[in-house]
Amino acid sequence: MEVGLGLAILGAAVATLLAGIGSAIGIGIAGQTAAGVISEDPDKFGLTIVLTALPGTQGIYGLIMGFLILFRTGLLGGELVALTIPQGLALLFAALPIGFVGWLSAIYQGKAVAAGIQLIAKRPEEFGKAMIYGVMVETYAVFALLMSIMIFMFLPI
Amino acid sequence: MSNDQYAYAVGRVRAMETRLLDRSKIERMVEASSAEEALKVLGETEYAEYLAGLKNIYDYDTMLDQELHRVYLELHRFSPEPELVGLFACKFDYHNLKVLLKAQKMGEKRDELLVRDVGNIPLAVLIRAVNEEDYTNLPSKMRQAAEQISEAFRLEANPQLVDLLLDRAMFLEIFEKLEKLDSSYLKEYFTYLVDLINIKTYLRVKRTNNSREFLEQALLPFGEKDMTRLVQLVDPLEVLVDRLMSSRYAQFIEDGIQTYQKTDTLTRFEKLADNFLLKHVKKAKYVTFGPEPLAAFILAKENEIKVIRIIMVGKINQLPTEEIKERLRDVYV
Repeated sequence: MEVGLGLAILGAAVATLLAGIGSAIGIGIAGQTAAGVISEDPDKFGLTIVLTALPGTQGIYGLIMGFLILFRTGLLGGELVALTIPQGLALLFAALPIGFVGWLSAIYQGKAVAAGIQLIAKRPEEFGKAMIYGVMVETYAVFALLMSIMIFMFLPI
Repeated sequence: MSNDQYAYAVGRVRAMETRLLDRSKIERMVEASSAEEALKVLGETEYAEYLAGLKNIYDYDTMLDQELHRVYLELHRFSPEPELVGLFACKFDYHNLKVLLKAQKMGEKRDELLVRDVGNIPLAVLIRAVNEEDYTNLPSKMRQAAEQISEAFRLEANPQLVDLLLDRAMFLEIFEKLEKLDSSYLKEYFTYLVDLINIKTYLRVKRTNNSREFLEQALLPFGEKDMTRLVQLVDPLEVLVDRLMSSRYAQFIEDGIQTYQKTDTLTRFEKLADNFLLKHVKKAKYVTFGPEPLAAFILAKENEIKVIRIIMVGKINQLPTEEIKERLRDVYV
């Protein structure tokens, strides 16, 4: 296998790996807080599940980026594309924004929604506001995915 | 990351907080026409489950004890650091030891005062230690104090010494435990608590015309203010107020001490001091992960129980509503 292809595959792995770890930690934190609230007040399940799921999106973005890269290399469906080392490196770089931002933003989003879950434990009517704080963190994961996709799209391959 | 382990516990405590008594329920209890009516308000709260078991209105203390037990046991079960609850449960151990020692040394048998199940040390261990006068199984600070008491009692029976030495030992143990928990919130709470107790001690010792040596023995260590350096026993109370005017206690010290001078009771001072502590406790509302919300819940519950007790005592003694209101503390929620 050529080095260029190897680098591209590394990119696909990094995007999925880092963003996935972040989401797992983020949901883990939010899920624990939600479980604490549910053990006292099971009626709040519907509200908490939406907030708990929020940090999951980064993992999905990472996965999307991973797929895009794999398609481009031809590993998934089609013939293997011959990639030069700079091309492979460029695909690896395309993976970095969503990988790193996804990783850290998911953890902090997890904390923000955990606080939001504590908020709705007391004031369920403020669910919308709790949601907004979580979504604000999401913005930066979306920006990162956007940049990853832009690098990917405008690559001359 | 270490505070993340509190995610579950804090979520749970936040949901439990919604069931604490709020201002409006307290108001309704105070405004109730009789003690029975006041208890009825509790029927809409967590206390409802105990109400059926009450023999009469004078039995409300049992209900409050049961609730306190429930909270301690529950938090102990789900706190990621059970030592946190142990910190507050220390007072039960020392209380039990005081009761047992006084029973043994002075024959005042008052088993009904013993607190079961919620202390850090099983009651049976304490009873055995006192009966056999072998304190080796007890925590070191407690053991030292108990041995000192036993020693002193061989010469002269002095019940005051039991309280003095054990109170001091309790705070030594609490501050030793605090080192391990590493929470500035908790450390500040206990420091302020010690300061406020010391101010009260100073006032009492001054009033009973006791010696400086006695005061030094009665003052607790670890406060922020060193009372013996701050004021002399012969100084008028104005000096104490003056010296504390630049401290964090300034906001209520003047009011508290002046009322004490006028009325000769510490009721007002104690209320203001409790409210001051509660204000510090409330800072836990802004903590998402950490031991603070759990500690705050215990303290909020103890405060709530104190408030209910004040109302019930007032209602049973048919105090005017205004007078009860004057004694009431703030609430956490």
